[in-house]
Amino acid sequence: MSIQSKVFTKRGWWNWSGTWLLVVLAFLIVLPFLIKSGSLSSVIEMMIMSVAACGLNLMIGYSGMVNFGPAGLYAFGAYTTALLLVNTNMPFWFAMIAGPVMTAIAGIIIGWFCIRLTHIYFALLTLAFSQLIYTIVYKWYGFTGGDTGIVGIRVPDLLAPLNHYYYFTLVITFVSIGLMWIVVHSPFGKVVQAFRENPERTESIGVDIKRCRLKVFVLQSFFLGAAGSLYCGFNHNVFANYAHWLKGTEFILSCLLGGIYNFFGPIVGAAVYIFLEQLVISYTEYWPFILGIIIILLVMFLEGGLAGFISEKFHIIRMRYDDTQG
Amino acid sequence: MPIETLIRQTMSGLSMGMVIFMIAVGLCLIFGTVRVLNMAHGSMYMVGAFLCYWFNNVLFQHFTGSFWVVAIVAPLLVALVGLAVEMLLFRHIYSRDMIYQLILTFGVVLLIGDLCKIIWGVEYHLVSYPRFLDGAVNFLGITFPTYNIFLIITGVLVFVGLWVLMQHTRVGRIIRAITYDRDMVNALGVNVRRTYTVIFVLSCWLAGLGGVLTAPINVITLGIDAEILIECFIIVVIGGLGSMAGAFVGSIIFGLVNSFGILIAPRLAIGFSFLLMAFILIIRPWGLMGKPE
Repeated sequence: MSIQSKVFTKRGWWNWSGTWLLVVLAFLIVLPFLIKSGSLSSVIEMMIMSVAACGLNLMIGYSGMVNFGPAGLYAFGAYTTALLLVNTNMPFWFAMIAGPVMTAIAGIIIGWFCIRLTHIYFALLTLAFSQLIYTIVYKWYGFTGGDTGIVGIRVPDLLAPLNHYYYFTLVITFVSIGLMWIVVHSPFGKVVQAFRENPERTESIGVDIKRCRLKVFVLQSFFLGAAGSLYCGFNHNVFANYAHWLKGTEFILSCLLGGIYNFFGPIVGAAVYIFLEQLVISYTEYWPFILGIIIILLVMFLEGGLAGFISEKFHIIRMRYDDTQG
Repeated sequence: MPIETLIRQTMSGLSMGMVIFMIAVGLCLIFGTVRVLNMAHGSMYMVGAFLCYWFNNVLFQHFTGSFWVVAIVAPLLVALVGLAVEMLLFRHIYSRDMIYQLILTFGVVLLIGDLCKIIWGVEYHLVSYPRFLDGAVNFLGITFPTYNIFLIITGVLVFVGLWVLMQHTRVGRIIRAITYDRDMVNALGVNVRRTYTVIFVLSCWLAGLGGVLTAPINVITLGIDAEILIECFIIVVIGGLGSMAGAFVGSIIFGLVNSFGILIAPRLAIGFSFLLMAFILIIRPWGLMGKPE
């Protein structure tokens, strides 16, 4: 890459991304007038999934530690909101805020143990905690309803129509993703990426790695919890399988499908994942089979994910443009 | 707690532990040498169990000795499946990041799970006890099902067999050497990749055997792959990732925690195991018998 092209990308980047952001936002705002309500709920699911996947990617992509039990935290948020709404007279807004906040607090406790480990041990310990949450949710009938879950959760009249809940989700999604963008591009975000690349060196310049990892863990817990709460309000029901590790692999897969080394990767991945799922399910009941093939193709041929692939291609286009300019 | 209950629970815990040992040890062997946590291992077990049902109840239902024929044929078929999976897929990802290895093996879990669904359907299947082992044995005034005792003996035999293989044969020495330093073994002219294949096929064979032997005491249905996989994770973590003796000890502990956990809190039995797993990971991540990295 020539120096010129670097300058070009740096200068052009904001215009490019800012324009696209506005286009996407405008598209999403007018979307409810264009499509059927069935498709609209798919879009809501996509947005919720992208909050979860993006949050998870703070851990997997940016800090380089594989959280193998995101489902536990997601379910923690969903159940917190659901239980508050069903058992108490708390206003809806409070329950929606309590979901992510309580999950973040749970994240402090779980993370405090997990961040001591690395690699496969970290992955297994997060899985163990996630499965512990699953066991509690699944077996504690008196409190969580066990395998019947909690059904018929009331939402305020204002949010009851699908259109209105769509806009609510849209706002929360944009705020969440905006917050994550700020975190990732802050000095703290740079430190996190530095210890992914070279933990020893980062530690030697005086960064408290464990503290950093814990912060990332709590942040991802917060956003996973937020996604759980949003889904609880969308679906009006919560079930024990939200906490199952197979649910967790959906989030991990969204990250990988989109590309974990690109901020927008998980968003693309979540959207494509839900789209493919809905599409395949309408034709055949063997969605897992197709998904298995997609995973194999992904791992074998598309290491950077879709976003990685696109940005690579765009990069080539940009370089060519530079060549003609230069 | 009365002494009879104590002995009974111990025996049932041991028999459960010994069966899972056969499956967990494969996971452990693959992790110890290839350094891949193979999530598709549970699927191999499920294929073994389904094959057992298929041969016993559908293909050879009028043939009395069918269980024993199945016990030989089915694990070999599972080993063939394992060979195909290793040669087509896993071989290409040994040097990739952990997350890609995990997700690829997960893709294979989905593929095999749905293939089982296509072939054998979503129903629950039961296999009856093989002849000669369907009775009960009286021991110190307490009766045990003969089959449980057979499982314990088989589990111990598998452990001893593997131990002899590891300690006293050429293949075993190579496998142990790879665990320590695979680059050095490679440099010495050993075909490491072929050894990986051998380990993989052996592990799948054991998982298939486990699947066949547990078929009479379990309900065979879709989803048992994920269940057993999580149990195997617990065992290898307790014992130490990659340590065979650890898998043996871990299996016994897991079986006992489960059978006594059921007495204390029937619903939360599996929760105790996760708690134990988390506890071990926190205080001693390399497990009871493993070595710190």
